[in-house]
Amino acid sequence: MSIFTIDEVRKTFTNGEVKEEILKGVNLSLQEGEVTALTGASGSGKSTLLTIAAGLQSASDGQVIFEGENLTAMKPEHVRKIRAGKFGFVFQFAHLVTFLTVEEQLLLMLDVSGSKLNKQERKREIDKMLKLVEMDHRKTAYPTSLSGGEKQRVAIARAIIHQPKILFADEPTASLDSKRSKDVMALIRDLTRKLNIAALVVTHDEEMLSFADKIIKMSDGQIVQKI
Amino acid sequence: MMNMAWKEMKRNKGRFLILGSIVFLVSFLTFMISGLANGLSEDNAGLIKDLPEGHFYMTKEANKTYNLSRIDNNTQNDIFAKNSNTFALSIQMGFLNNHDGKQQSVAFVTSTQSKWFQHVKKGEVIFDRSVEDNGIKIGDTLTNKQSGGKLVVKGFVHHSKYSHVPVAYINMDDYKEMFRTSDMQLMYIPGEDKAPTFTGLQAFSKDQFLNTIASYKAEQMSLNMIIWFLIVISGMLFAIFFYMMNVQKMGLYGILKAIGVKTSSLFRMMWTQMAVITVIALILSIALSEVFNHMAPKGVPFQFTFEITFQLSVVFLIIGFIGSTLSGLQIKKVQPLQAIQQGEM
Repeated sequence: MSIFTIDEVRKTFTNGEVKEEILKGVNLSLQEGEVTALTGASGSGKSTLLTIAAGLQSASDGQVIFEGENLTAMKPEHVRKIRAGKFGFVFQFAHLVTFLTVEEQLLLMLDVSGSKLNKQERKREIDKMLKLVEMDHRKTAYPTSLSGGEKQRVAIARAIIHQPKILFADEPTASLDSKRSKDVMALIRDLTRKLNIAALVVTHDEEMLSFADKIIKMSDGQIVQKI
Repeated sequence: MMNMAWKEMKRNKGRFLILGSIVFLVSFLTFMISGLANGLSEDNAGLIKDLPEGHFYMTKEANKTYNLSRIDNNTQNDIFAKNSNTFALSIQMGFLNNHDGKQQSVAFVTSTQSKWFQHVKKGEVIFDRSVEDNGIKIGDTLTNKQSGGKLVVKGFVHHSKYSHVPVAYINMDDYKEMFRTSDMQLMYIPGEDKAPTFTGLQAFSKDQFLNTIASYKAEQMSLNMIIWFLIVISGMLFAIFFYMMNVQKMGLYGILKAIGVKTSSLFRMMWTQMAVITVIALILSIALSEVFNHMAPKGVPFQFTFEITFQLSVVFLIIGFIGSTLSGLQIKKVQPLQAIQQGEM
């Protein structure tokens, strides 16, 4: 079932008198329990599309429909609430909060999402999630003592601890070596299925496409291939 | 939101400790100078400061210099007739000699009947207790070389100084003899909100009158200037410190915003850190100032009052709040997108 739809989205940047169209009417939809990979050459518009879909920047035209509501027409505070409660984010770098331990990173996300769980339930949920990403043995560690792969695992746990509907991942493996990249992608795929999340993953790494249920190839601001 | 402010402080103890120690030193110095300013003002004009709110009158011709003012008996009687609580007073600097011929500088004060000033019989004197340090005791006889008259010490009072010398309360007849005048310099009407007007006389509130005393004004102005300068420095400290911290944390703020943290939560985090640092620094500097208050050498006119300390503490908190908020305005401008596109923090 389609939970998220991007409908004729355009993005134009104006630099002085020069207008540059980055996205030229893009359409796509995401299904629950599926990983959709967005791939293409650098500058093809895939990251711009992801950030517009995630409500991190506005579209020049078109609609982003989530749960029947158009994100592009919402007030910023409403978009923030959706980002906090129903979206999860994984970036190229883990971007963990340096002064919080692994479990506190997840606790922060539960706080931000306005989770109704009590203290005990939160603890249980965090333990469960850290087990899923195989980081339960490092829950009191600070980010400085984690490896790149471990950081990214914690970032994934942070992105889904609050049970979002959509997981947005922008080049989640770009800063990792090949083995760790595969581990991270496998983890995203497994969690997406297990937790019935719709995932949109931007990647330029062809090797990672094998972990996707759907592949969308972009070029020059347009979708050129859907597999 | 979980206590991020506290967790960051715990994790980065060093940098917050540095800021805290600087705020502590600045606030401690401010309290010390404020205690000194207060002590000096008591030392200089305790006699006037300790009176209740009211109005002083001196002749217009005196041009705001009270010891040039001469209020004759008729004018005094007119004012007494209209205001029952009123009293007339005069203050003159001078000295007395003990039996060894040693001089003791004093401020001679005499007044008509009033509950705020000491009254003695002719030939008697009551001193501020500080003269005891110079060996003057009850029963001693002191000589006034101007009039040749003798004064017997009847007692001592606390905190009664004027122009940094002890006050000597004397009888009006002795005063008239010593200074060869039957006029009084000042009239005082306590408790009036609005000063009644009298022909030929100029009214001054207590603060206005204190500021006519040249040494008092100069002393207090310079010390208050230092106090405000230190307060401004503390505000700038907060602004600069949090600016530097925020510049380093721009990426973090962007990511937190991206995952849905409210901008107001980030501001609250910064304000909490500012408040924790300031309150701890203030508690320590108040405690240390209180210790100094009890241990200060006798000659140091240090007076630490709860009221002024409380006011200064509130000012410190307000200034810290303004300083950190100004530097925190950058947080508002952070775009999540920029942070995501940047590298690892």
